[in-house]
Amino acid sequence: MSEQPPTALTITTDIILERRRKSSNIRLCIYLVLFVLVAWSVQVTIIEDTDWERMGSLGSVLESANRFLGIDFALFKDLLEPTIETFMIACLGTLLGVIICIPAAWFGAVNITPFKPITYPLARFMMTISRSIHEIVWALFFVAVVGLGALPGIFAIAVRSVGFIAKMSAEAIEDIDPGPVEAIRSVGGNNLQVLIYAILPQIMPQVLGVIIFEWEINIRRSAILGLVGAGGLGLVFFRQMNTFNYHGVMTVIIAILGLILLGEAFSHWVRRKLI
Amino acid sequence: MSNSSSRVASGPSIRWSRYRYPDTLLRYAAWLCSFVFLVYCVEYLNIPLDRLLGVFGRMGDILANRYYPPDIEYIMDREYLGYVVETIQMAYLGALFGIILTLPLGWFAAYNMTPSRRFVYPIARLVTMSCRAVHEMIWAILFVSILGYGMLAGVLALTLFCTGFAGKLLAEEIEAIDMGPVEAMRSTGANLFQTMIFGVFPQIRVAFTGIAIYTWDVAFRAATVVGFFGAGGMGWYLKRNVLQIETERVAAILISILILVMISETVSAWARSKAMKMK
Repeated sequence: MSEQPPTALTITTDIILERRRKSSNIRLCIYLVLFVLVAWSVQVTIIEDTDWERMGSLGSVLESANRFLGIDFALFKDLLEPTIETFMIACLGTLLGVIICIPAAWFGAVNITPFKPITYPLARFMMTISRSIHEIVWALFFVAVVGLGALPGIFAIAVRSVGFIAKMSAEAIEDIDPGPVEAIRSVGGNNLQVLIYAILPQIMPQVLGVIIFEWEINIRRSAILGLVGAGGLGLVFFRQMNTFNYHGVMTVIIAILGLILLGEAFSHWVRRKLI
Repeated sequence: MSNSSSRVASGPSIRWSRYRYPDTLLRYAAWLCSFVFLVYCVEYLNIPLDRLLGVFGRMGDILANRYYPPDIEYIMDREYLGYVVETIQMAYLGALFGIILTLPLGWFAAYNMTPSRRFVYPIARLVTMSCRAVHEMIWAILFVSILGYGMLAGVLALTLFCTGFAGKLLAEEIEAIDMGPVEAMRSTGANLFQTMIFGVFPQIRVAFTGIAIYTWDVAFRAATVVGFFGAGGMGWYLKRNVLQIETERVAAILISILILVMISETVSAWARSKAMKMK
């Protein structure tokens, strides 16, 4: 691939055929390696690591899956409050995330970062940390810092959503049309005015779309943060699971699905409105 | 938005504004509503605002005192590295199975190519949506309770997670194709499979490779913690050390996760740019 592209004169059928044969050989090798990798992974993770004895036959697996089918109607009245809580944690977390994003996106966009050798890698590092650590781990950390309740959940969601929003916003800022920026500069606008009047109007629709998308994901995330003590539906799920009330577990899952469906419908509506 | 700027100003006091009268009022109302809602949220969730400022100091304290010297030796251990390899394998298999499942699902869930808009389309949409809506942790817990501890549960949870993730992207990609080749194939009497293979697949091939690589990347990030509830991999180490309050080891594990994710992100970015070039 990397070799110099030959001029029109040197291309002959032989070269083309040769190249084709070479690339098909390489492809064959890649497929072979992939296949060996798959076989090895299957061997290690599925065949060796699974306790087939304990799992028993297919029938017993189906039987244990069957326990989950059913709805515990008695749980309904206890579900309303955690559902609202989950929703609110997602909203506040997204808001806090957006606030943290503002400096991150500003530092992380190559064309407007204030001092490139320091602030740019700093912002990129922030984004990577935020995206690579799972929300459960963030929640554990914040539960250790601020104690149980909704606050660690909000922090965890905020920190976790910084990465995605800031990355997309920084990319949007890098893609702007430089014309308005120069226009504002040429009439004597300072950096802040350039930011407000030239950059923000250009990136706003895109960034709002990203924020709403992230908000939708955050509802899903906030539904599980209760598993490590951060309130909401996850806590109910955890309790039902620990008391082996499998029908209750299913009910909580259905509540989560309903909430997410609502969020998705809302985000779809807003995004269509924006565009 | 509106063309108010083109109006000739009739008096000296008229100021230019981007929105006209009913719009401005609606915008204020929307801002007010969201502000009231947020305040109500804070009230409802009993968030101790007075403690909020002290949080950052305490966070720094805890990080410096308890997490600071990360126990690097712990993550250099052979056993731990073995678990890292298992995590990678789990993510690899989960993404692979997820992508294989995605191929038919994405086809069925694309509105323009689905075999039957009445039956197959809503079902496929429902399946991808519920796979995506239920968090991978919940899948992991359910599979662990059905199949027992071990990596099989983790692989299946990741499979469903990847199916939901890649299914949506693939369906969107198929919906955005150029319908010309498809119509041409149909008019020559090709059946469903033939239009799919010769009309649609060449158009989405590159995008599909990109989606597959990205799915693997995302699956790896999820795989690092799926073990938290007993589904295999390094998540179990994390949970054990968190429960034992071995914070220095937790810090070391987090650092190892960070490094691994950075590596996988670099590899996936490189592979995706390579795949884009093959176009």
